[in-house]
Amino acid sequence: MTVRAAGLPCPIARPPRITFVRFTVALALVLMASSWLFVLVLDPSYSHAFFSAETASRAWSFLKELLGVGTNTTPAYLQASAWASTGWLALDTLAMSVLAVAFAVAGALVTFIFAARNVMVGDLAPYGSRTWGAWLFTIRFIYAVTRSVPELVWAMLLVFVLAPGILPGAVALAIHNFGILGKLSAEVVEGMDERPSRALRTAGAGWLKVMAYGVLPATLPRFVTYSFYRWEVIIRTTVVVGLVAAGGLGMEFRLSLSHFHYTNVTLLLVWYLLLVLAVDLASAGMRRLAR
Amino acid sequence: MRSSAALPQLPAQPRWLESRRVLTLILLGALVLSLFAVDWSSGVLHPRGLAAIGDIFGAAFRPELSLELAGKAITSAWRTVAYAVAGLTVALAIGMPLGAVASGTLTGSRTASAINVGLVRGLLAFFRSIHELVWALVFVAALGLSPIAAVLALGIPYGGMLGRIYAELLQDVPQPPLESLRRAGASEWRVFWYGRLPMALPDMLSYTFYRLECGIRSAAILSWVGLGGLGFQIQIALADLAYGRAWTFLWALVILVLLVDQWSTQVRRRLA
Repeated sequence: MTVRAAGLPCPIARPPRITFVRFTVALALVLMASSWLFVLVLDPSYSHAFFSAETASRAWSFLKELLGVGTNTTPAYLQASAWASTGWLALDTLAMSVLAVAFAVAGALVTFIFAARNVMVGDLAPYGSRTWGAWLFTIRFIYAVTRSVPELVWAMLLVFVLAPGILPGAVALAIHNFGILGKLSAEVVEGMDERPSRALRTAGAGWLKVMAYGVLPATLPRFVTYSFYRWEVIIRTTVVVGLVAAGGLGMEFRLSLSHFHYTNVTLLLVWYLLLVLAVDLASAGMRRLAR
Repeated sequence: MRSSAALPQLPAQPRWLESRRVLTLILLGALVLSLFAVDWSSGVLHPRGLAAIGDIFGAAFRPELSLELAGKAITSAWRTVAYAVAGLTVALAIGMPLGAVASGTLTGSRTASAINVGLVRGLLAFFRSIHELVWALVFVAALGLSPIAAVLALGIPYGGMLGRIYAELLQDVPQPPLESLRRAGASEWRVFWYGRLPMALPDMLSYTFYRLECGIRSAAILSWVGLGGLGFQIQIALADLAYGRAWTFLWALVILVLLVDQWSTQVRRRLA
């Protein structure tokens, strides 16, 4: 570097190095090419032509049916009664999202500290703690499993346990988001400014006091922000878990699609978009209040 | 503490009107109202629900293992990866150009960029508001059951997310290098190509890799509309009440997601 900084020509041209990032980009390109090859050509299960006049005409007629063009009945989105009945479903969906956030936050809040390396086995760990590493590993493993399995799959498992309604959907969303929120918050603890906590420790505070007065104040603001962000994601996904958990807009969406009530589908999509918009605005406002 | 007497007095405001307390009240109210929305009276558990918990989560420790199942798990995992990666390609094709326009940095003209930014941001927001599975259900109804419908369904909302983040990253680059390009006579277009894009690229790449990890999970559940993949195998196994077999594929999904997670973490660490 000093040679270059002095403006002298570099004596030997460096050969291009194979760095991890370059390798990754190359691998990603290969993956892209082979994936498209698989999807377009090799996939044995689906051989009918997708790019065809038939698909186009089918899409066109579907679009007309969504808008209710060319039918005698009044489209659902022009009927006040349809708006009212689906409005209740929208409220149910909103309640599902709130419960999901509450459960996920409650779970993550009591565990995330125990998943942070620095306060469990690192410098801020209690002295002479042997079993804490095991706790760290266990909680990280639970986070990994809960967040790797998508919400919909959790819902598919939970319908065997919980009665249909908004609760199985809320719990399914909560399990997945618990893992995500926990992992993100543990990373916040690992990345925080450790100096106040060290100062507490040096002043003789025990582990619990260091957590309560050093670590939590440094990490909770980010935790709250992340929770609100997850709420925005969760409201988008409520419809999806509702498909199997039989709660809120999701179930009605699926029924309307399979009964070919396409104008009702349009109405439900409008409610869905309104909900997402409302939650985005509410979350932004609340994040401002929390600041 | 004694010195606090010398501090200027804050305007008298009841403590419960502080913004955080108001927020706490709002949140508690929302939680209580939401709890009322659950039908508690007829019981929240299935009659055999408690036993089912034991069966389902006990099966996690005894997944069915055989050579045939392992082969099936690997082929379905590849199918899931292929859909995810193909979907992400679509997302890149949507997110790169729209994100560049939405950043409002391509032209110097104020009005032109304001119109572009408003329209394109709205479009991106619409794309990402709708969950990929909802897109998939609509596309399968509209276009027929085809992997391409699933790939598009994955690509559109992910394109919306990538576009929004790309736009923000392109705006947030340090300004002095751009200014020196402008002083040297570069047009906004050149400033974009030789200033903004190279500076924002590592973060853009890093976010894209994070999205790949989410894409794998999404691709797995896209099989819910009837396409193959890990989610489809899980669904069949659960329909047969074969929890052990379901967990074989669930573990395969967990391992796959964690592998991609590790990969993307390593990439992001090096790009940071």
